[in-house]
Amino acid sequence: MRLEYLTGNHAIAEAAIIAGLKFYAGYPITPSTEIFEYLASKLPTKGGVVLQFEDEIASINAVIGASWAGAKAMTATSGPGFSLMVEALSLAIMTETPLVLAYVMRAGPSTGIATKAGQYDVMQVRWAAHGNYELVVYAPWSVQECLDLTIKAFNVSEMLRVPVILLSDATLAHIWERVVIREPPEVSIVNRKKPKVPRDKYKPYEPEEDLVPPMACFGEGYRVLVESLTHDERGYYKATNEVQRRLVWRLVNKVLKNKHLISDSATYLVDDADYVLIAYGSTARSAYALIRELRSKGIKVGLYRPKLLWPLDEEMLINSTIKAKKVFVVENNVGVYVREISRVLRNKEVISIPIIDIEVPTPDEIFEVMKEWI
Amino acid sequence: MRYELLIAGRGGQGILLIGRVLGVAASKYSNLYVTCSESYVAETRGGDSRADLIISNNEEELDFIKVRKADIAIFMHQAQLVKFSSLVKSNGTVYVDETYVSELPSNVGWRVLRASYTKLAEREIGNIRVANMVALGHLIGTTKLINPEAVEMAIDEVVGEEWSELNKKAFRLGLNIGV
Amino acid sequence: MDIIHPLDRYLRTDRLPHIWCPGCGIGIVISAMLRAIDRHISEGHFTQDDVATVSGIGCTARATLYLNFDSAHVIHGRAIPFAIGLKVIKPNLKVIVIGGDGDIAAIGGNHLLHSARRNMDITVIMVNNMVYGMTGGQVAPTTPMKVYTTTTPYGNLEYPLNLIKLVSSLNTNYVARASVTHPHLIERYIYNALSRDGFSFIEVISICPEVFGRHIGFRNPVELFNKLKSMIKFKAKPSIDESDIVWGKEIVLGEYVNEYKSGFIKLLYGS
Ligand SMILES: Cc1ncc(C[n+]2csc(CCOP(=O)(O)OP(=O)(O)O)c2C)c(N)n1
Repeated sequence: MRLEYLTGNHAIAEAAIIAGLKFYAGYPITPSTEIFEYLASKLPTKGGVVLQFEDEIASINAVIGASWAGAKAMTATSGPGFSLMVEALSLAIMTETPLVLAYVMRAGPSTGIATKAGQYDVMQVRWAAHGNYELVVYAPWSVQECLDLTIKAFNVSEMLRVPVILLSDATLAHIWERVVIREPPEVSIVNRKKPKVPRDKYKPYEPEEDLVPPMACFGEGYRVLVESLTHDERGYYKATNEVQRRLVWRLVNKVLKNKHLISDSATYLVDDADYVLIAYGSTARSAYALIRELRSKGIKVGLYRPKLLWPLDEEMLINSTIKAKKVFVVENNVGVYVREISRVLRNKEVISIPIIDIEVPTPDEIFEVMKEWI
Repeated sequence: MRYELLIAGRGGQGILLIGRVLGVAASKYSNLYVTCSESYVAETRGGDSRADLIISNNEEELDFIKVRKADIAIFMHQAQLVKFSSLVKSNGTVYVDETYVSELPSNVGWRVLRASYTKLAEREIGNIRVANMVALGHLIGTTKLINPEAVEMAIDEVVGEEWSELNKKAFRLGLNIGV
Repeated sequence: MDIIHPLDRYLRTDRLPHIWCPGCGIGIVISAMLRAIDRHISEGHFTQDDVATVSGIGCTARATLYLNFDSAHVIHGRAIPFAIGLKVIKPNLKVIVIGGDGDIAAIGGNHLLHSARRNMDITVIMVNNMVYGMTGGQVAPTTPMKVYTTTTPYGNLEYPLNLIKLVSSLNTNYVARASVTHPHLIERYIYNALSRDGFSFIEVISICPEVFGRHIGFRNPVELFNKLKSMIKFKAKPSIDESDIVWGKEIVLGEYVNEYKSGFIKLLYGS
């Protein structure tokens, strides 16, 4: 264990190295670039490779290739770059390719304000890629969580053979905080399952009980087939209802049925709360500050903070708001994740507090809206 | 224990370095928790430069990432003092560089500690660029917020070998102001 | 599995028959490629396990489905970056990208350009049928001027891209043009490409009687084949100035760039 004083971006890069990263490909974009630069100087000294590509499309496709060569691989970007990556994200989902994508949100639409924060892309990240799938997305609220959740992102991606997204923002990217760094064996690192059958019996998409297929890589003699078309367990293209249904449901269910392994959220004083604030990422820091302040004045408020943003842990959300008279969803955007909360809390009064602030919404700004309802 | 610190001045006065050194000293060498957010105008010289630090011995007390009401502030220049004075508690402790600050607000109950950090740095060290470390020394010497040895270790780590002695000399100069 | 043909060991024979139309040129390219790989393997230069083939989407790109190597059939235009990811992590692999002119030169054109510039150690085989085959006959960046396609129903107004000239202008080790009318040249060039480090690019002029033939009035494969053959000229040392394709006139085959500079992998890892 050691102490460091790092920014959110440094912590993501540091965590990736601890998790066993061997390949980074990227294209520079504010506010994610420090992840790239930090790795460019450090990763080669740990036996890894860092390459700058001609665009984000090439970057994520190279990451997918590197993962199939057996390396833990990642890229990082922001909104404009993620928009370019979504086609390949769908490929990674379809081919069950482990990879980590650090998405550092900035103010949009379009080029927006490159250096400034916002949480506009929480829906885009989940839904932008084509086809139906479940996507694992983690949202940290501190530099320590940038570190911890990046390690978790790698572990989950290897465990379930899925791309995992770490969703940070321009504020977290650049704040400095104390972090506790633990390396293995103090922290556990997961590696993908390897085939247990002889080469001629191996099928690259044949799942085990957890719905995850063991993964052979290129150059190991298994004659793997990475297939973006709808495929059977061998990777053979089949345009039938039967194969399409079996594949799509498995891709969805391997995330949902393993939810207990990936779920992560935090609560603060929800047990007796009349009002529960729901917030994620840097904005949750402001909500938390407000709750501490209101509690000192005797107002019973609590916080529910999903760290796993997608898929939302519905039971946790319901249990954390069971006694609340009202639920407030605070976001640095026009109010989008609130739709997901309302979908689950159908019988509750769910109030959206959308605050566009290019730094981070302040506790006072939140209270300004909230006070009309309490 | 939880403090909010605001450090502000013009770009080029080494504001962010004060924040960086304090952050490292507190988090790595004093077992304290720190959040620091930096803001600056892209041009290095002239614009506002500001570091907001929240320091606490309890992790749960780190909440909002910016200063809401500073317990302690350093103002290295008049322009930023005017701009950010409302962020300081009315009974806050405020350090000012008299070289560039001539007027203080009259309607607050600040405890003001002042010295000509820039002039001192020029006269005693021969380099105005370490005025920031003189100010930091003054703050540490009078608040005892962090052990001076921890700060010196942080200086070694943050500024690098070539400049560390000069910066530590300036820091010690600040420590002894008024002693 | 009964081995009927000596090259069957390089095919997933359980997946045959393939999807390509009668008269299509892709099969000629694939068998020439397999003969080139087989020669290398029998000469002990590498093994079947060391070969990786990567393709995007298109008729040509379907080739990787049938090949008994570690293979990837990824998304349209992105085979090259996938291949680079593979190669950089497993430098011992012989990484071959195969695709159509749309896949490699249109949507994937930027990746072609930059991987050639890096002299990245992969071999790219572009099958140029001068049209989009899989999607049913739209204009390609290689379609000759004036040709009617489904998306240029009044005739193509754009000058075709000369890939030989483009790739030769970059820092690459090997650039050659072959044609399905001369399979032994395809084999020789792929063999030569696989014999060196750095980036190698082979354009294979092919025929697509089903859609391109229909567009230009040669619906009969034999006639289209003969038409192409009549334009082909082989040169031992062709100059880049004569590499433009003018349909109906002359298509010059040969090795346009033939060098042995250090590839990217050597620069990255040392020797
Ligand atoms: C992003 C994307 N855009 C478009 C398509 C549709 N598409 C499939 S293959 C193809 C072009 C095929 O032409 P070419 O690459 O020349 O290969 P050929 O079929 O002629 O061998 C297109 C446009 C796609 N699959 N993906």
